[in-house]
Amino acid sequence: MKKTIFLILCYSSILIAQSVDQQKEANLFSPPNIKKFADYLFCSHDYLRAALEYQRYLSTNHNDTVSYKIAIAYSKIGNYSKAAKLFASIDHQSHLFPDAQLEYYKALFQDEDYFGLRNDFINADLSNQFVLSPRAKKLFYFSYLFTNDKLPGENQFLSHFEGTDFQRVKDFYSWKEAPPYKSSLAAGILSAIIPGLGKIYVKKYSDGAFAFLATAALGYLTYSDFKAGHNFRGWVFGGLAAGFYAGNIYGSIAAAQIYNVKIQFDFVNSLKAFLNAKNFFIPEINFCR
Amino acid sequence: MKLFLCIFIFSSTIIFAQTDWQKWGKANYSYAVKDNFHRRDLSFDAKNPERFVLKSLLDSYWFFISDVDGDNCAFSPSCSNFFLQSVSKTNLVQGTLMFFDRFTRDMDFISKFDFYPSVPDGHFYDPISLYTLDKNEIKYIPPSVIVNNE
Repeated sequence: MKKTIFLILCYSSILIAQSVDQQKEANLFSPPNIKKFADYLFCSHDYLRAALEYQRYLSTNHNDTVSYKIAIAYSKIGNYSKAAKLFASIDHQSHLFPDAQLEYYKALFQDEDYFGLRNDFINADLSNQFVLSPRAKKLFYFSYLFTNDKLPGENQFLSHFEGTDFQRVKDFYSWKEAPPYKSSLAAGILSAIIPGLGKIYVKKYSDGAFAFLATAALGYLTYSDFKAGHNFRGWVFGGLAAGFYAGNIYGSIAAAQIYNVKIQFDFVNSLKAFLNAKNFFIPEINFCR
Repeated sequence: MKLFLCIFIFSSTIIFAQTDWQKWGKANYSYAVKDNFHRRDLSFDAKNPERFVLKSLLDSYWFFISDVDGDNCAFSPSCSNFFLQSVSKTNLVQGTLMFFDRFTRDMDFISKFDFYPSVPDGHFYDPISLYTLDKNEIKYIPPSVIVNNE
């Protein structure tokens, strides 16, 4: 009996024994496992949790690629100011430094800090290879399209763009140089001449037609009532006609202002769409192959 | 001509005829107050004479006409609310001009979908801030957007 128990104990110890390697693998909080998990989260587009896991990894290890990926993660979730700070903190000696600098400018761009971007660019050390890189110059010049600052000369501006980008950027430049705004004054005057014409001028065609119909119908009622000797009704319809007439002039001026804001909005959106399609002229590093 | 009219009336009667199951089907009707029910502020405002007169007229309009007539204005805020807000924000003359312009735009039943975003209850969002002639107040919202925090 004692022999049997002894044998069972021996065998079970051997059979159920954990190997040292397995123990290592089972330590889920070891730095390599944290990094593996963070990589998995990063490639699953769960960027916030990936950034937190990478930060945990960095508390015990130094790794430029991981720092870079944290910054990318914050950029992906839209925290551009934090991403910019993290990209700026990448070591100058790192092989990722040139990419980090471009991403830094991209983050400033996405954070709509165009003045910060240009100040950084202008004040940067000219011996810095990054500042002289064509990609950075594209971003620098493109930032002028988003602000109301005076544009650089056309030739100087366009000389940094080539190929298929050239014509598109030239169109953007032309738009910015002479935006096709509508004049509020002209809209008001047009509506004063013919009710609704100012609205048609700002491309609100049916609004213009209805304004004309309302004013014309009430004007006709005023005329016919006065002609028929119905003075009270004449004054009522006359007052309404005057109200619609004046309201339409006012509305045409307001509509011109709204039109100008709208086309500016559309212009900025098309700039952003172009930049996103081009990934801000930056080659994207694929960490998830 | 008579034959044509006969055929037209006969065929339209058949096409638009109510079927029994539509006519007598069960109607699930809720008497709960809807989310978009207008809770009017019917208080009198006596800050100044013009506002007192205007608010009294609007209160009367809401109580005797608008609430009885139903929720018919396509916009949010409604035309009467727009009038009150525009007079409060600007002055009686400018507010009245804004109201006449709004009323003209309300008549346009063709292109509202092309110009105005919506609010969740389906009305077109058209705030007074767009029409005060202060460019800094204008915040363009594309018509495809549904505005939640009006």
